[in-house]
Amino acid sequence: MFTDISEIVADVDRGMIPANVYSDEEIFELEKERVFGRAWMFLAHESEVPEPGDYVLRRILDDSFIVVRDDAGQIRVLFNMCLHRGMQVCRAEVGNASFFRCPYHAWTYKNTGQLNGVPYHKDAYGGKRGLLKEEMNLLSPPSVDSYNGMIFASLDEDAPSLDEYLGDFKFFLDFYTRQSEEGLEVTGPQRWRIRANWKIGAENFAGDTYHTPHTHQSVVEVGLFREPKASKRKLGALYFADIGGGTTYHLPPGSFDEKVAYVGYPESMIEGMKEMWSPEQQAMISEAGFMPSAATILPNLSFVHNWPQINEDGLVVPFISIRQWQPVSATETEVYSWFAVDKEAPDWYKKASYKAYLMCFGSSGMFEQDDVENWTSITTVAKGQLAKRLKLHSRMGLDREGELLHEPVENWPGPGRAFTGFGEYNQRSLLRLWGQYMLGNDPVRAKDFTPTPL
Amino acid sequence: MEMIPYTNDTHQEVHQFLVVEAELLDSRRYQDWLNLFTEDIVYRMPVRVTKAHTLEGSVLYGMDHFDEDLYSLKKRVQRFETEHAWTEDPPSRTRHFVTNVRVYPGEGDGEFRVKSYVLLFRSRGDTRDPDFLSAERTDVLRRSDSGFKIANREILVDESVLKTQNLAVFL
Repeated sequence: MFTDISEIVADVDRGMIPANVYSDEEIFELEKERVFGRAWMFLAHESEVPEPGDYVLRRILDDSFIVVRDDAGQIRVLFNMCLHRGMQVCRAEVGNASFFRCPYHAWTYKNTGQLNGVPYHKDAYGGKRGLLKEEMNLLSPPSVDSYNGMIFASLDEDAPSLDEYLGDFKFFLDFYTRQSEEGLEVTGPQRWRIRANWKIGAENFAGDTYHTPHTHQSVVEVGLFREPKASKRKLGALYFADIGGGTTYHLPPGSFDEKVAYVGYPESMIEGMKEMWSPEQQAMISEAGFMPSAATILPNLSFVHNWPQINEDGLVVPFISIRQWQPVSATETEVYSWFAVDKEAPDWYKKASYKAYLMCFGSSGMFEQDDVENWTSITTVAKGQLAKRLKLHSRMGLDREGELLHEPVENWPGPGRAFTGFGEYNQRSLLRLWGQYMLGNDPVRAKDFTPTPL
Repeated sequence: MEMIPYTNDTHQEVHQFLVVEAELLDSRRYQDWLNLFTEDIVYRMPVRVTKAHTLEGSVLYGMDHFDEDLYSLKKRVQRFETEHAWTEDPPSRTRHFVTNVRVYPGEGDGEFRVKSYVLLFRSRGDTRDPDFLSAERTDVLRRSDSGFKIANREILVDESVLKTQNLAVFL
């Protein structure tokens, strides 16, 4: 049981995190309403449902949604609950359907969500006198929108627009999701459950470069990935802009082409990037020298981009993964992990990049394996009595008075704020946003709030 | 093709091979386990999904939990041999229960197609509930001078959402 959410938020804002935020069921109940009930939540990528009738079943915690491309090609997000008695009208995870028929009384809906068939309509309802099918639709979330093919929904009728919500983070999102005109091809997800609080993964991907040299030492030792050594990792920039933040690696000197080729992209893809990315986006890689790696958007959507060696001949190939930390309870999370690759990439590259993904991340990934062991262990011990009194130290980069130890990166070509060196700037920013949501505030539209105070 | 009878020596040899393999995995003799594979091994575990009407094709197109060649299997084993593979240090206690073994003639000379059920019990630490993974494996075994080698393995896992923290284990 927690005493007062404003006390918790005050602690979080100064980088001292009450350990039970990673285990307390009451805090989780409040998160369901105030964070997941209001934030924009990722559901699916358009490429997962390429043809009319294609659908995938997705959740926002306990709410089940059918993400379907209707017969006219429009993507719909339908609440998976029959208007009559509330049965789920779709119980497969993926498929193709023109209609969804409820197994209980056979009410049938078109893939637009409109009620199309009601058995014994005349006998049971007096036909149109009792029930006007044409005006009845499966519910939809109040807000649905997409960015670069990524479909989001918010359960909040008063949510800011998706554009406003993503804000300046879109600058960084494009690195992962817009490498050519065609955009991404997304496959998956792998799904598995970990006995860890959802925030731990979200924070880790947002900015924890400090764990990389130690937690992932084994992958360097076996020659899977050359970058995570501490000496290299601390040179990367940690950036945060509006609703999310991420990590980068600093690359050896060279032009844009040379730097992108260094991580393993073929020439045809580099041309695509140059067409899609603004001069400022390109400058982040070429002039500033920072290549995006992991990132998180509040609340629970993360990305990762690494470039491991995938065969005996030393072939280095990058991969992109999109992942969601879907909470099951305060102490359990279902991980959804997708593989993403640019649609216009050469076939050999798609295959090699997929291999790179499976070796590093996902249910069997050699990086991911060690992360989860840490997060499970934290959550287990955060359930204890003494954990309620422990405030976890998340103040790296600040002095004891709370002043910044280092100056932000000068001439940062992107939006937001960036630092090099080790520091928990992004984790604090992410949890500051979380705190505002938990208080019932709207940090996206608030004029007097910033997730990145100096 | 017709199943090779249980009373046939080949069935007995194959069954013994799978039981010995399970012992190697459960005692973490991974280098010995790697020796059971051919150079051209394809080791796959597709992602399973719930589809309407049928179990046919109930795998997710284009996505696997494992899609390994000998290089990546070796890397996984090599990683466990470092002192920094925390996920299995301390190690899980595992049991691979292998049953329902069915042996069929294979396509090539000295090749057999082998189906088996496997139930993996995995216990970690002293406070967590154990995990289970249930699957059917379809193997292609090839006879060699040093006994059978696994040339292909497809693992059809029964859960669409795995209830284990990672696949730092093999099936």
